[in-house]
Amino acid sequence: MPELDRRDFLKLVGVGAGAAATACADPVEKLVPYVIQPEGVTPGIASYYASTCTECPAGCGIVVKTREGRPIKLEGNPENPINRGSLCTRGQVTLGRTYHPDRIEGPLSLGGDGTQSPITWEEGMSRLTSSLQKASGRAYVLGGPVGPSLSGVIDGMADAAGAKRVVYEPFSYDALRSGTEAVFGVRSLPIFDPEKADLIVDMGSDFLATGMSPCENSRQYADARDIQKHPEGGTRMISISPRLDGTTQSSDEWIAAGPGSQGAIAFALARAVYDKKGVPEGIDTSVVEAFLSGPTLEEAAAQANVEPERLKAIADALLAAKNPLVMPPGVAGTDSSAVSTVAVVMLINAMTGAIGQSVQVPAPSDQGAPASFAELEAMVSEMKAGRVDVLLVHDSNPVYSMPDSLGFNEALARVGTVVSFATLKDETSKSAQLVLPSNANMETWGDAAPRPGVRGLVQPTIRPLLDTQALGDIALDVTRALGGSAPEGSFHKVVEANWSDVNWRDALGNGGVYTDVEIPVPPMALSLNGLGYSAPQMAGDGDYKLIAFPHPYLGDGSGAALPWLQEIPEPVTKLEWNSWVELSFATAEKFGVDFGDVVEIQTPSGSVEASVFPRGGIRDDTIAIPTGQGHTVGFYSSMEGEGERPSWLTVESAVGTPGVARGVNVMSILPATTDERGGRTFLNTRASVKKTGRFRRLALAQWTDNQRKRHLAQSVTVPEANGHGEKDHGGHGGGHHDEPPHTFTASFDADPKSPYRWGMAIDNDKCDGCSACVAACYIENNIPVVGEGQAIQHREMSWIRIERYIGEGHVGGGEERRPIPRLEELGKLDVRYIAMPCQQCGAAPCESVCPTLATYHNKEGLNGMIYNRCAGTRYCANNCSYKVRRFNYFDYGNENFPGMLGLMLNPDVTVRQQGVMEKCSFCVQRIQAARQPAKDEGRDIMDGEVQTACQQACPTNSISFGNLRDDGSKVVKEADQPNRSYHLLQELNLRSSITYLAKVNREDQEGSA
Amino acid sequence: MTPPPGMADTMSPLERPRDSRANIDIIAPTKGAPWPYLMMLAIAIIGVIQAVIILAYQAYVGLGVAGYQQPIFWGVYIITFVFWIGIGHAGTLISAILFLFRAKWRNAVNRGAEALTVFAVMTAGLFPILHLGRLWKVYFLIPYPNQRQLWVNFKSPLLWDVFAISTYASISIVFFYIGLIPDIAAMRDRATGGKKVAYTILALGWQGTGPQWKAHSRSVLHLSGLATPLVLSVHSVVSWDFAMSIVPGWHATIFAPYFVAGAVFGGFAMVLNVLIPVRRIFRLEKYLTNYHFENMSKFLLLTSTICGYAYFAEYFIAWYSGVEFEQSSFWLRLFGPYWLSTWCMIIFNVVFPQLLWIKRLRTNLPFLFGLCFFINLGMWFERYVIIITSLSREYIPGTWGLYIISPVEIAVIVGSFCWFSMWFLLFLKAFPVIAISEVKELIIHEKDHGGSH
Repeated sequence: MPELDRRDFLKLVGVGAGAAATACADPVEKLVPYVIQPEGVTPGIASYYASTCTECPAGCGIVVKTREGRPIKLEGNPENPINRGSLCTRGQVTLGRTYHPDRIEGPLSLGGDGTQSPITWEEGMSRLTSSLQKASGRAYVLGGPVGPSLSGVIDGMADAAGAKRVVYEPFSYDALRSGTEAVFGVRSLPIFDPEKADLIVDMGSDFLATGMSPCENSRQYADARDIQKHPEGGTRMISISPRLDGTTQSSDEWIAAGPGSQGAIAFALARAVYDKKGVPEGIDTSVVEAFLSGPTLEEAAAQANVEPERLKAIADALLAAKNPLVMPPGVAGTDSSAVSTVAVVMLINAMTGAIGQSVQVPAPSDQGAPASFAELEAMVSEMKAGRVDVLLVHDSNPVYSMPDSLGFNEALARVGTVVSFATLKDETSKSAQLVLPSNANMETWGDAAPRPGVRGLVQPTIRPLLDTQALGDIALDVTRALGGSAPEGSFHKVVEANWSDVNWRDALGNGGVYTDVEIPVPPMALSLNGLGYSAPQMAGDGDYKLIAFPHPYLGDGSGAALPWLQEIPEPVTKLEWNSWVELSFATAEKFGVDFGDVVEIQTPSGSVEASVFPRGGIRDDTIAIPTGQGHTVGFYSSMEGEGERPSWLTVESAVGTPGVARGVNVMSILPATTDERGGRTFLNTRASVKKTGRFRRLALAQWTDNQRKRHLAQSVTVPEANGHGEKDHGGHGGGHHDEPPHTFTASFDADPKSPYRWGMAIDNDKCDGCSACVAACYIENNIPVVGEGQAIQHREMSWIRIERYIGEGHVGGGEERRPIPRLEELGKLDVRYIAMPCQQCGAAPCESVCPTLATYHNKEGLNGMIYNRCAGTRYCANNCSYKVRRFNYFDYGNENFPGMLGLMLNPDVTVRQQGVMEKCSFCVQRIQAARQPAKDEGRDIMDGEVQTACQQACPTNSISFGNLRDDGSKVVKEADQPNRSYHLLQELNLRSSITYLAKVNREDQEGSA
Repeated sequence: MTPPPGMADTMSPLERPRDSRANIDIIAPTKGAPWPYLMMLAIAIIGVIQAVIILAYQAYVGLGVAGYQQPIFWGVYIITFVFWIGIGHAGTLISAILFLFRAKWRNAVNRGAEALTVFAVMTAGLFPILHLGRLWKVYFLIPYPNQRQLWVNFKSPLLWDVFAISTYASISIVFFYIGLIPDIAAMRDRATGGKKVAYTILALGWQGTGPQWKAHSRSVLHLSGLATPLVLSVHSVVSWDFAMSIVPGWHATIFAPYFVAGAVFGGFAMVLNVLIPVRRIFRLEKYLTNYHFENMSKFLLLTSTICGYAYFAEYFIAWYSGVEFEQSSFWLRLFGPYWLSTWCMIIFNVVFPQLLWIKRLRTNLPFLFGLCFFINLGMWFERYVIIITSLSREYIPGTWGLYIISPVEIAVIVGSFCWFSMWFLLFLKAFPVIAISEVKELIIHEKDHGGSH
């Protein structure tokens, strides 16, 4: 029976409209105490379980925080040597897969009418086994990379069925494997450690944002440049990339070489290094010399369209550096000669002695190396020929991620039975005859072996929420049913048996086993047949080279289902929720298009339409589109979940219609070409641009990247950071007001009797904009995502945001929301990030204007926010100079956690009601959690006992949090760097508790106007 | 006390109405309800109903249906609130201040202006409530004793607003009502049936006796004294909602006088906008003469010039301060995305009224009506410029935003005009739009003191 609850009633009375009989009421929920309390569960006390992140293959350790049996937050596992306690944006939100509204609730079968209807597991399994029996070997198992134990049982199933197993990963680093194999004879992914290098030449690897282990590499890079440890500035990086990407913008010099010219540059550099250093003993120099007979530096410079002097300078720097490291091109740079490029890069690393230092070449992992693209093509042609009766798909979405020109979809139609083991519904599961959903990541056992010395264990932290089974158990059951040899017991027992060589309980407690393993330096074993310099081939004759670059969050499309990854602004462009085409300002002008205008991008393999994002950080001959969007299935990944909110600023495409894609899938218009060794390429086509005349607004999180000389994100030179030279308090290169800045002591702004004044120090020099802090904050503080329509209206709810500014900026402009011409410029670098949580001001402007005292100053100097007392006048938000307050325009708290997502909410943090204001609380619930034990022990909270979610997540440790009244605390020590510390908008005398540490400009950048 | 100089002074002997004629002329409009009147009333009521429905919808689903977005947390509702509060100033100014200053010409317009004040405040007062995120919690803004020891923040200008507006509303209503009592009694004497009962109750037993008249004039005088500071205080307090913040473009000491001048300016324009058609429709040409319009035009010209000075001072100080935040904020007011509203404000409020230097135009009613319409528009834009442009261009350029008005807000603004019109139309039929008692009093006074017959 529909009821009118108190809140609805008061709302209606409030406007004098009387009671409406049709009000939809939330169901009455009751708190039910445990009748028999489970052992080890104390209501209100969190339990933590160590596990391993499965969102990407990097193998970071995680600690799963559970409350009353529900996993509610993932944090980095400090024991794990890969991530050492931090966790990236994707890792933070991978928890959402378990509670996702797209979860398939149970086995499904495709009926004759094209719809999938529920069946039982018995029926599903019997159909699976019988179809595999009937197929008698005409079957494939296609799936993403999985851990060793699961890989083992899948192999067992494939063997029993006589099926071929193909490990498929769209971003498989084929070229990196092949190139490494060509030089060292070992087909494995090298491990890079930027911390051990003193000079990095990045050939477009984007290792900080989209590389193989971004969390780890970001930390290493930041540590290598820690200005306190390395007063001279630490490691320098030269980045060679056609567009300013997530790594380039953190480097010291940017060579904006044309797309596809990295090979030529690498060959030329290798030749220069070879001429000086030669190759190690025992290597046939004639082979090397034949291989290196590529372009000279001048020719390479001409091809890359850069000045030869700059390349010569790089060559000189490489020869002069003690420990140089050259990073091979990343996914976006894999062209038809990618293997040669990687090989020559690895050769440089070998010649300069980086191998064994900053580059490790491990033995191939037993996690099942992904198949090369050539193998996939072979499989597809088998399918096309009708020689495949059964296709089992797990942990991948080939319908989405295969290039259209490969014809996977047509081939799929000719397969007798397609079986999907998807957890979340996707394009592939949608077209499968049989869907046998597997457990979500928090519900399964598993393991990972990302590298020698690191074995990660994945343990479940919640029982399966839906009628699903672990993929390992399905595989075991199928193996047994087919009469194959399967180990005894469940998949859990299999994992345990595989770990029988170590103490199981210790491994569970630590999330794995970590040993110091010396990775032997492999001898060079050149097998360079068919390799050598050749100009990359580009399909078509369009005017522009198309870069399909990996979106740092959405990756190969697997991240698109997670709403946080859609809503957290992409660090470089600050765009959310949709696809865009990056054009240079000159190109945009040429076509008469501007921000948001839709253009058609045509390649020989198809065309897509997306809105233009003009920017300075891309070459005129290049256009770029991020991967990951263009899904037609999924609540968040397609447009299905949009349009729930009344909004008049709607986007052009059909809002809220299931089946309508969100953005475009750039992978679909890439030709299916391969590199020398049959690996998939992504930089393989030219494209033409056509104006459509339509406009589609993009959700751009930041109005402008021009800080108008307001000294928000400041920078200092290396001498200034060391106290030499006059540090103008306005920062590098810009005068400030004549009078000295107001000085104050932030620790004073709390009750004199309180032992605490909480504060933060944020090191802008370490921040690379990755936004892991933002993701952590979303999950920790129950922050709703608002969707594209609301994001376009700039109603994101994030409590911490990362602002990105270019240089000091200039006064002027600012009329429209868009990047400003002449800020980002080719070859110039001065990108400054500044993380913006609530500043917890000592003299907070928000507090004095609140008529109801809903926001107030507490005894420990925090700006408290009493949601229940907030009437929603929004005056506080108007008066907040930092604009960190967020307003609940709709009932986001109740409605934007659809389905089971509500189970993910942190019970220690109030879910905010419609019409109230909210903001960063410095994770006050964590302070409270630390207070009670401290009180019990009769002491104050110790330094390091409270970690805010953002601080915990940060891969580069840019954020320090603690008690400003404790002189020994880390935050006080961090903040005590007078040469580069500042408070934001200090002249307003708001007495911010956050000390920012200015970015250090290691090279005298011209870009800092 | 000396009765205030009457309108009789301002008219030629031939034009001067006789006692009985005045009664008939002034009460006549309250009789009957011709179809144009009913049409207008119906439109107004429909406008109010649609706004109520839309507001219920807004309260139910959330304020997101309005155009708010980071960082513009106040929008059209606050703009319209300030607009109506400003309108509400003319009434008290005319009734109280001009009464105290013995301005001869106010008598013919004061009843209309007072009514306008009451209805404008009734309209304005709704907006701060309906713009709340949780309007069902509006009582949180009132300091009431409670067991939870929750108290309000007396430092917040919004709280001052609560007191200022409620005080102003109560004084305005009392002032209006006291002035009405003798006329209600006159209406009572002519009414029949149910109306008679209503008027009888409202007339509070008025008999027109000497002591009653004495008490009446005393209370009018004292209330005038009470109301006078309110004219200055209410809009000063409203201006402090902005000036007490640290938003560039708001944080200025000129705000209180600037807002008061603007309010009087806008209020007079609204009085003219209402009275010109009323005079025409109800044939009150004898009572609202060129003399009144000339004086009100001069007042408009004066206050327009003050506004112009305030605009100039704002921009000058922003430039002179050398503070880039202020400079950018004001520069982008003029040449940023909101340039249209800024230039509308300047042209409608400062440039157009300069035409009133021409004497002929000061009594040209169609011209005045049009001018006042543009002034009202300009005053609305003034608040739009102050609120929206300042909020959208604050300290951190990355957080700047663009406010786009939503259909919901447009419906509510339309509804607010309908709400105001509805009350005014009902008032026209319920009470005389010109104070009969004063007219009678004046005529008697003239007879006693050797008038012109």
